[in-house]
Amino acid sequence: MKKSITIGHLYPDLLNLYGDRGNIQCMMKRCQWRGIEARTIEYNLDDTIDFSELDIVLLGGGSDREQMLVCRKLQEIQKDFKAYVEDYGVVIAVCGGYQLLGNYYQTDQGRMEGLHLVDLYTEQQPGRLIDNIVLQSDLCEMPVVGFENHGGRTKIGGNKPFGKVLYGSGNDGESGYEGVVYKNVIGTYLHGPLLPKNPQICDYLIGKALERKYKEKISLEPLEDLEEEEANTYITKRFL
Amino acid sequence: MFAVCTAKLTKKACQIAGKQGVTLAGKIALRLDPSILTALAGQVREKVFVTCGTNGKTTTNNLLCSAIEAEGKKVVCNHTGSNMLNGVVSAFVLAAKWNGKLDADYACIEIDEASTVRVFPYFQPDYMILTNLFRDQLDRYGEIDTTMNLLKKAMEMAPAMQVVANGDDALSAYLAQEGGKDPVFFGIGDPYFKEESSREIREGRFCKRCGERLHYHFYHYSQLGDYECPGCGFRRPELTFNAKDIQCGGKLSFTVDNLRISANYRGFYNIYNILAAYAGARTAGLSLKNYNQVLAAYNPQNGRMEAFQVGDTEIILNLAKNPAGFNQNISAVMEDTRKKDIIVLINDNSQDGTDISWLWDVDFDRFRDESIASVTVSGIRCQDMRLRLKYVDIASDLEPDVEKAIRGKIADGVGNLYVLVNYTALYNTHNILKKIEGEKK
Repeated sequence: MKKSITIGHLYPDLLNLYGDRGNIQCMMKRCQWRGIEARTIEYNLDDTIDFSELDIVLLGGGSDREQMLVCRKLQEIQKDFKAYVEDYGVVIAVCGGYQLLGNYYQTDQGRMEGLHLVDLYTEQQPGRLIDNIVLQSDLCEMPVVGFENHGGRTKIGGNKPFGKVLYGSGNDGESGYEGVVYKNVIGTYLHGPLLPKNPQICDYLIGKALERKYKEKISLEPLEDLEEEEANTYITKRFL
Repeated sequence: MFAVCTAKLTKKACQIAGKQGVTLAGKIALRLDPSILTALAGQVREKVFVTCGTNGKTTTNNLLCSAIEAEGKKVVCNHTGSNMLNGVVSAFVLAAKWNGKLDADYACIEIDEASTVRVFPYFQPDYMILTNLFRDQLDRYGEIDTTMNLLKKAMEMAPAMQVVANGDDALSAYLAQEGGKDPVFFGIGDPYFKEESSREIREGRFCKRCGERLHYHFYHYSQLGDYECPGCGFRRPELTFNAKDIQCGGKLSFTVDNLRISANYRGFYNIYNILAAYAGARTAGLSLKNYNQVLAAYNPQNGRMEAFQVGDTEIILNLAKNPAGFNQNISAVMEDTRKKDIIVLINDNSQDGTDISWLWDVDFDRFRDESIASVTVSGIRCQDMRLRLKYVDIASDLEPDVEKAIRGKIADGVGNLYVLVNYTALYNTHNILKKIEGEKK
């Protein structure tokens, strides 16, 4: 039987700041190139989300103002979202979406309540951390490359980071680590967007989603990744 | 006077050295005489215009300048698009005589939105033309909200300034109504496109006044269209300058004020530029009865749809630096239904924005068309561009060196070449094309 995957894109009308469409496109294409059916459901602020039909959830980044609008809405779906995460549902949360995973985001405008999906918090500090960034992650062999642009400093406590910073600032500019991995959730500041230049991370998410859905060991058919690898290598060579 | 002379010499020296030197001249002049900008701007006999907005500043401002000149007036203008404080200083200094006197009736100055608050302490314009607000270089300018806050502050610094704004853009209209004195609006009243791209990135879908989701009766492109807030009643303002009976494709024409305007330009977005300049000049009381002649004579030499001819190959160079601009560029390219080759050049120098994630917000899938004979990617981030195209099933050739890419397509292309570049590549690519054009003559 042909396998299929459903991606839920949360609030793309508000959280779409840094080419998040590229992450969706990447997941869709890498499924389709392997003969896996893929579809994306876009949820706007007024839509009801049925997490039971989703295999991957993407929560992108927005401006502070728009993030505030989303944050109120998220409280309504917190319970369902939490249950999905605890049941090993796959989530990729980028920039603002990453901050919203945590307990709160303290800005100079006030405090945004988070989703409490992962035990972490973010506090705004003067100066934005803006640059290209390179990580070494346990989730893949290739270095992870991207771009970060955030005023918030995220503290992940005892959680596992997404990667070790080889170039750039990462979670808080001090710890030497970037992002978070909790069950099948990845939270990260990396856009660029993240997945096209880091195809192994994309395949990791697809693999986890298929294993959860079909309850079997999945080994994804390898793809020809020349363009992905060269774009990735360009950044690593330039900054390391 | 000493400052004026030194600045003029600096510009000359830079030109001899093969550099533009415009902003450096301004920097030196302001360092030598901090009051120079106030003094020179104060010598303008009639009105001072500034042009702001994410896209279309340079074209609008240069058209405005040409239109006013056609009325027999003398105009100061920063033609090259150097639009931060030093560039603005340069425009005035380089227009002044060696004795420090400025002979000008009008000034038409384009200003980078974020620089308005740095320029307005020196002079307060009579009019601001606000073209549109789109996301642009987030790593440099931050979110649109930040840009809007700066423009609002700038408008407060110039309380007598009248804002002439794009009424089809909810963000510009909101700003003009909040901050400007007796705002005037231009726009395209009726829908033109039968279908609209639902995937396009749109800014400001939520009412800036009350936070409700705006309801759109239709979109022209990006977020430009006819909108209305169900919450607070904020809506597209009445358009004093309303472009009607639009024709687009190959050349543009429309009617405003019972005047039929025609121009041999491509690109729907150029209607806004032509209309914005018209609205600005008319608001200031100019007649603009020769506007069609102005448009016919206007030949952009600055990489905005600039045409070159090399042997049998027609080449168009165009600047594309953010998603809204790029999408409009693609529309303009696709209006030409002949076979064509495309070169896309992406750099990530600081003036381009070092973050190139916006490439994924551009609807490049529209290049998947029979009329596109080839796509070549070039520039510092050519690999990223090639990867971007891969994910919309478009194969491209990689050639980091743009001169080689251009020469290659002149040699083996279909004779119709579009070169789309972002900011820091513009000047250099322009010079390369000029050079190649010269060789073949």
